[in-house]
Amino acid sequence: MTHPLLSLRAVSKTFHSGGREVKAVDNVSFDVAEGECLAVVGESGSGKSTIANMILGIYPQTLGEIAFKGAALPGRRDLAHRRAIQLVQQNPLSSLNPRRTIGASLRLALDVHGIGEKAGRAERTGQLLEEVGLPADFRTRPPAALSGGQRQRVAIARALACQSELVVLDEPTSALDVLVQARVLKLLADLRKSRGLTYLFITHDLSVVRNIADRVAVFEKGRLVEIGPTASVFEAPTHAYTRRLISAVPVVTVAEAALRQRLTEDADAHA
Amino acid sequence: MNTLRIRDLTLGFKGWSGTVEVLHGISLHIGRGERVALVGESGSGKSVTARIVLGLLQSLRSTRLSGLVEFEGRDLSKLSERERHALRGTKMSMIFQDPTSSLNPVYPILTQFHEVLRRADPAINLTGARARAEKALADVSITDPSRALDSYPFQLSGGMNQRVMIAMALANDPSLLIADEPGTALDVTVQAQTLRLMREQVERHGTSVLFISHNLGVVREFADRVYVIYKGRIAEQGPTAALFEDPRHPYTRALLDAVPRITGDGIPEIEDASDAYFAPTEVHEGYGEPEGAA
Ligand SMILES: Nc1ncnc2c1ncn2[C@@H]1O[C@H](COP(=O)(O)OP(=O)(O)OP(=O)(O)O)[C@@H](O)[C@H]1O
Ligand SMILES: Nc1ncnc2c1ncn2[C@@H]1O[C@H](COP(=O)(O)OP(=O)(O)OP(=O)(O)O)[C@@H](O)[C@H]1O
Ligand SMILES: [Mg+2]
Ligand SMILES: [Mg+2]
Repeated sequence: MTHPLLSLRAVSKTFHSGGREVKAVDNVSFDVAEGECLAVVGESGSGKSTIANMILGIYPQTLGEIAFKGAALPGRRDLAHRRAIQLVQQNPLSSLNPRRTIGASLRLALDVHGIGEKAGRAERTGQLLEEVGLPADFRTRPPAALSGGQRQRVAIARALACQSELVVLDEPTSALDVLVQARVLKLLADLRKSRGLTYLFITHDLSVVRNIADRVAVFEKGRLVEIGPTASVFEAPTHAYTRRLISAVPVVTVAEAALRQRLTEDADAHA
Repeated sequence: MNTLRIRDLTLGFKGWSGTVEVLHGISLHIGRGERVALVGESGSGKSVTARIVLGLLQSLRSTRLSGLVEFEGRDLSKLSERERHALRGTKMSMIFQDPTSSLNPVYPILTQFHEVLRRADPAINLTGARARAEKALADVSITDPSRALDSYPFQLSGGMNQRVMIAMALANDPSLLIADEPGTALDVTVQAQTLRLMREQVERHGTSVLFISHNLGVVREFADRVYVIYKGRIAEQGPTAALFEDPRHPYTRALLDAVPRITGDGIPEIEDASDAYFAPTEVHEGYGEPEGAA
């Protein structure tokens, strides 16, 4: 039997802060198949980034099991796991060391994971930048001399530098203009095919989800409320929260407004 | 009088290998109570324009600036650093693109909110600040404002931090609000709620808004007028409806074609950047820049 690449079984996470308990993730189970792009959408504060952090081993789950290729992931990850599972963080500024140039940050990722011949690595950093649509000479700049969207692309380039298998992308294109976004999404789609990558794609942008994801998981208040193939979730959502979400998407064309209108009426009919 | 008027603004950054020119003569204005969007390419100069208006780049040694920036009729370059500082956080406020650049990781939210309120009301104590902050956070749909106030930024989600910043930026009833990508980490229902809140603020206090966003759907719903910027130049300007229905500049057209559709037609095919994107500014009838006594 083949295992899903990643599987979460009855995973919960409770935080304690200021004498209070916060149930950030509440009994969540789902699988991600190899080569799949699963989008994770939902309420702000519903536990999406927390799930990403647990998959990366940044902190452990309170309950449940997270398995990679059929084997439970240990609390402390070895180098092979750290390479196989990469994260593009929601906040590109905080994920890049402000004292290191962009080139040095990329170089470090290549060095740590021993990617490629030593002699070719400096040049490779330039290629990585060009792949995400940035000039190679950005290597010499510190993160502060880049715009928000430029930093976001550096974070993507760094995750792609390593020969990873699963990439967790937390809002990877929210700071990009739609032209650059389309280019980055194409790049991600191409790499998924050529390298057989698997994506867990966390985003609030439902229009992006509609066009890149195989399946969608919808979260509300720490719970998984709906999961299914993208087209059916968008055209015939079964959960009230999903309907509310889709009918609130800001749109630019008439056809989109019509779809939204239909879902709003459905939502009212179900209410 | 316009709340903000920018004329022929240029900006360069000096480095070892010469100066990088970033803004090539930007002009724009925002009237009282007007919601104006600035949209365009990543790296085209939106955030630096906002930082110049706030007076944050003027004192950097590496910047080369020219042109006029006028706030409520006062030429910013004629103000002292102290006077510019006094405007920030009171009459002008900003929601930054990156929460880490405006929320301090080592203080709880309440302490930071208290600081913000004290800028306009030096006598306010912690109890008073707490009451006002709780109300302000509830307005941006934070479900447990008291927990949020006792948390450090890392204990809140991306969208919660963004809402904290929005609440702080509105707290002192500024006459100019600069919102740089205010909704990127918000789900669409919360985003709609925060846009409603900003709209109410505009109506109640005549606040002017400079709204920077890559989300063209949101811009279409929120803004009265739009400026499209490409590589440090204004490509097109006009009223929102006209710009979306009749985009005239090649760059604006390319941008609108690249928006992914919720009806699902795949990722849009993108053509390579064209020299036509440098074509002169398209101005929709009746929407040019005012002639001032400059
Ligand atoms: N380190 C922490 N300590 C305490 N509470 C936390 C911590 N990290 C997250 N939380 C809480 O857990 C909940 C879920 O947060 P999470 O960041 O996973 O949300 P999210 O779905 O990613 O939201 P967004 O879309 O706004 O980024 C929130 O209520 C948040 O305040
Ligand atoms: N300190 C600096 N030194 C050199 N160049 C800089 C510096 N700060 C910004 N830049 C450059 O200035 C240009 C404009 O940056 P800005 O942050 O205004 O872009 P933006 O339009 O806000 O883009 P985004 O949508 O990606 O946030 C970018 O190309 C950036 O690389
Ligand atoms: Mg998050
Ligand atoms: Mg910016």
